[in-house]
Amino acid sequence: MNRRNFILTGSAALLAACRKSSRQIRLALNWKPDPQFGGFYAAPYQAHGLDVEILPGGAGTPTIQMVGAGSAEFGVVSADELVVARSRGNDVVALFAVFQNNPQGIMVHASRKLTSLGDLFKSGGTLALQRGLPYARLLEKKYGFDKVKIVPSPGGDISAFLADNNFAQQCFIMSEPLTARHKGADVQVFPVSDAGYNPYTTVLTTSGDFLRQDPERSKAMVAAVREGWRAYLDDPKPTNQRMNQLNPSMAPEVFAEVAGAQKPLIETAETRRNGLGSMTKERWEMLIAQLKDLGDIQKAPGADECFRNL
Amino acid sequence: MRRLRSMIPALIPLVVVTAAAELAVRYGLVKSYLVPAPSSVLRAMIESREELLGALLTTSASALAGFVLSTVMGIAIAVFLSSSRAIQRAFYPYAVFFQTVPIIAIAPLLVIWFGYGMRTVVASAFVVSIFPVIANTLSGILSTEPALRDLFRLYGASTPVTLWKLRFPAALPQILTGLRVASGLAVIGAIVGEFIGGQGLGSVIDVARTQQRVDKVFAAVLLASVLGLALFGLINLLSYVTLRRWHASEQL
Repeated sequence: MNRRNFILTGSAALLAACRKSSRQIRLALNWKPDPQFGGFYAAPYQAHGLDVEILPGGAGTPTIQMVGAGSAEFGVVSADELVVARSRGNDVVALFAVFQNNPQGIMVHASRKLTSLGDLFKSGGTLALQRGLPYARLLEKKYGFDKVKIVPSPGGDISAFLADNNFAQQCFIMSEPLTARHKGADVQVFPVSDAGYNPYTTVLTTSGDFLRQDPERSKAMVAAVREGWRAYLDDPKPTNQRMNQLNPSMAPEVFAEVAGAQKPLIETAETRRNGLGSMTKERWEMLIAQLKDLGDIQKAPGADECFRNL
Repeated sequence: MRRLRSMIPALIPLVVVTAAAELAVRYGLVKSYLVPAPSSVLRAMIESREELLGALLTTSASALAGFVLSTVMGIAIAVFLSSSRAIQRAFYPYAVFFQTVPIIAIAPLLVIWFGYGMRTVVASAFVVSIFPVIANTLSGILSTEPALRDLFRLYGASTPVTLWKLRFPAALPQILTGLRVASGLAVIGAIVGEFIGGQGLGSVIDVARTQQRVDKVFAAVLLASVLGLALFGLINLLSYVTLRRWHASEQL
C-alpha cells in the first residue's frame, strides 16, 4: 500500500467511525457507578432507539460544563449547580430529577447527643464541609461558623471521622453514614433539608441546543430513564451486580443497603401523582430565590427555562 | 536598560495570548464558563484582592517552608548517600519512593498525621519537592573531577574537608538545578495540600471551582504561578551570586 492509499483508506475508516458514533449519546455522571445512578444503568435505552454510553465521573468532574460544551449530550448534576450555571451563561436544562428530596446531610457521632443542626454549630468540634456549596453558606448564615472549625471535605473518605469523636462531616445520608456504621461507628445524621435547603439532586440534564435540535431523542432519553428507575426501585439486584463490577470498591451488601435507603427520597407522594423524576415550578422558584439570597447568583434565571417535564 | 530590553521576547507571547483569549471570548468562539476572558480574571482579582492576597501569603509561607525543608534535608540525604557505594545501594531506592508518591492519594493521611492546617500543607510541599534536590545534589557530588580529587588526596585533605572545599562547591550548579525544579514542585505540593488541609490559594481554588467561578480559579492559579516564578527568581539570584565568578552558566 503506498502512502496515498494509506491516507485515503485511513481517513475513510475514520470517517465511517465518526459517522457511526455520531448517533451515540454520552451520559456523563458526576460520580462513580453507585446506587444513586441505579436507574441510569437499568434504563432500556435500546428499546427506545438510543445508543447510550455512560461516562462515570469523580471528584471535580466538570459535568455541567461538559454538557454545556457538548462533550456529553446528557449529564447528571444537582439543581443548584444548574441554576448557577444558567446564571453564568451556560444553557443547560433539567429533564428528570431522580432525588426529589435532598440527600445531603451532616453526620456526627451519636455519642455527642446532639439534637439538631443548630446544636452542632453551638457545640464546637470540627466540621468537614465543602465551603463552595450553596448550603454551606446557608448554614453559615443561619447558624454561624464561629464555634466550629470548618475544614475541607475529604470526599467520601471517612477516616478522619472515625478517628475523632468531635469530627462531623458532610455526607450523602444514604452513603457515608452506612459505611461508618459498617466500621463500627455510632452515627447520627442531620439532613440539610432540615435547614430549609431542598433542591432536586441527581438531575438528568441536557443542553438547550440538544433539546432544540433533537427533541425526539431527548424525549426518548427521559422515557428510558424513567423506566430504568422504575425497574431499579422494584428490583435493584441485577443492576447492582453490574455496577458493582464497574465499581468493585463498594461492597455488594452496601449496594443493596443504599438502594433500599434512598427509595423514599426518590419515590414520593408527588412522583406517585406526576411520575418519577417530575419537577414543579414552585420548587425551582424557591431554589432560585434562595441562591439569589445567598449571593450565589447575581441575576436570577427564570424558573421556566431551568427545567422541562418531558 | 539592557535588562529591560531582554524581557521583551518574553512579553510578546504574553500579550498575544492574552489578546487572543480576550477576543475569542468576546466574539463567542469560546464559552466564558469554559475559559474566562482575561479581563474577567483581572476583575475577579481586583474584586477579591484581600481574600486572594491573604491566601497568597498563606500559601507562600507553606510553600517556602516546605521548600527550605526539602533543600536542607535533600542536601543532607544526598551527602549521606554519597558517602559510600553500599549506602547508596541500600537507601537510594527509597529516596526514589518520594518521586513516585501520588500525593493526592496520601493527602488525606497527611491530614490525620499532621492535622488540618499549615503542617499538612508544608508536609505535602516537602514530599513532592525533595527528590529533585536529592538526585541532583547526589549526581553533582559524585561527578567531581577525578584530577582534583587526586590533588586533594595528595595533600592529605580529610574527607569532610574534601567535601566542603571541593565536592560541594563543584556540585553547586547541579544542586541549583535541583532547587529550580523543586521550587515549582513545592508550590504545586502546597496547593494540593491545601485542597485537603484547608487555607490558602488551594482552598480558594476549591471553593471557586465548586461555585463555577472559572474567572476566580484562574485568578488564583495566576497568583500561584507568580509565587512559583518568585521562588524561581530567588534561586536564579542565588545562582548568580555563587557561580558568577567561576561557572560558565552565569558568565554570559
